[in-house]
Amino acid sequence: MTALLHRPLPTQDPFDTSAWAIGAPRLLAGLQHVERLDVSTHLATHGPLPGTDLAKLLAYLDGGGLAGRGGAGFPLATKLRTLADGPRQVIVNGTESEPASRKDRVLLRRTPHLVLDGALAVAAAIGARDVTVAVHDEQTAAAVRAAVSERPDARRLAVKIVPGGFVSGEARAVVRALRGGPARPPGRRTPPTVDGVLLANVETFAQLAILLRLGPHRFAETGTPAEAGTTLLTVGGAVGRPGVVEIPLGTPLGIVLAAAHSAEPQAIVVGGYHGSWIAPIAQIRLSRAGIASAGGTFGAGVLLVVDHATCALGELARVTGWLAGESARQCGPCVFGLPALAADVQALAMGNAGAVANAFAHARTVDGRGACAHPDGAARFVTSALHLLHDETDQHLRQGGCGRPTLGRLPIGATR
Amino acid sequence: MNLAIDRTRCDAHGLCHALLPGRIDVDEWGFPVLRDVIVPAGGQPAVRRAVAACPSLALYLTNPPPITR
Ligand code: SF4
Ligand code: SF4
Repeated sequence: MTALLHRPLPTQDPFDTSAWAIGAPRLLAGLQHVERLDVSTHLATHGPLPGTDLAKLLAYLDGGGLAGRGGAGFPLATKLRTLADGPRQVIVNGTESEPASRKDRVLLRRTPHLVLDGALAVAAAIGARDVTVAVHDEQTAAAVRAAVSERPDARRLAVKIVPGGFVSGEARAVVRALRGGPARPPGRRTPPTVDGVLLANVETFAQLAILLRLGPHRFAETGTPAEAGTTLLTVGGAVGRPGVVEIPLGTPLGIVLAAAHSAEPQAIVVGGYHGSWIAPIAQIRLSRAGIASAGGTFGAGVLLVVDHATCALGELARVTGWLAGESARQCGPCVFGLPALAADVQALAMGNAGAVANAFAHARTVDGRGACAHPDGAARFVTSALHLLHDETDQHLRQGGCGRPTLGRLPIGATR
Repeated sequence: MNLAIDRTRCDAHGLCHALLPGRIDVDEWGFPVLRDVIVPAGGQPAVRRAVAACPSLALYLTNPPPITR
């Protein structure tokens, strides 16, 4: 395990940029020595970026199997192949709206040139003139602007702040906000590639910058046979050492929990608040396939420990209420269904019989019935918890509670 | 073809449920639940009438299957 130096910024900015690695860091390489890689330390650490064209990019992606590192895990190669003709645009989605996630902002603040390298390589390959980096907060924007000004290709890079909120980080909401519209998902579900827009997550571009330098063979020297390379996690909840962690894909959950100085876990929330609750089984492999076989979703790589000191149903109720409040209030089933679901979970935590059945019914009602995946994600979050927390639910129904306080292990809206 | 609803436009008028009771139910708040979205190529007169009747222009027909239900 490599501790990666972290020196808090001398400002009022509360954002914690702690990071560490299990195994040799790739994306986070060089950060053992400095808080931030400027362009010369970046080049000294990673070397120059080799030239690319679309054919080479696709061959590398097919050889390296790079799944998108945003919530949806959509393969970058598929986006490149379905991109419409005509004017093209590259957007780096740095909005990171998942409240517990920090990995994208850690990359943009501490090793921004890796992200910009990847985005400019894609722009060159698809014939896009410039790259837009979309972020939610002023500090991250300032960090990226500082990096841009260090580069010879600075005029091809723009940094834009789009309005915050969980749902406004959704790909189509970001595109809409950048075009001057509201930061809300449009009603018809067409992917941005239809308009020639190649939008991907911050980490996806950083991984690409590594892949282009290493080539597919060396890129696959770590990870699993099906999922090559490393991934970033944001570890939080009841751990002594929260932060962003780079791990080889397929690392067992137990190793990450031990390295993070986790308390004895009651449950693990993976993938964030559109993700799932899973049992804390040390052998679960942290890869898309490994987490899927444990009944979870990798999402944006969030890993939160819910320990035995806190009331799990109380934690669930708190986050479900927050999710209901984060609806963009456009779609009926989301506007009415999520508060109903949140009320069910609250009633369940208070020991109300019948609330379990109501929660499952409302989760089914909202699933898939919004303009974006917010209701689907909320439904998954609640149903996975109810399946896992069977004994807690029984106890709450029998005794009206479990006697434990709700400690707020799951952060909500912490950084905005 | 596929029947779909732009959820940002739908105002729960319920007309589509009245016109296509076999394909569309309503939830407890009056918003439509699509039960059967697949429409034969060329469409069906009843489906086309319902699409045209939707007061909010929310109900529509689309070729690539939408992800919404
Ligand atoms: S589903 Fe909910 S969050 Fe998504 S656009 Fe509709 S109202 Fe907004
Ligand atoms: S007729 Fe249109 S507005 Fe009314 S419920 Fe159906 S889809 Fe919604």
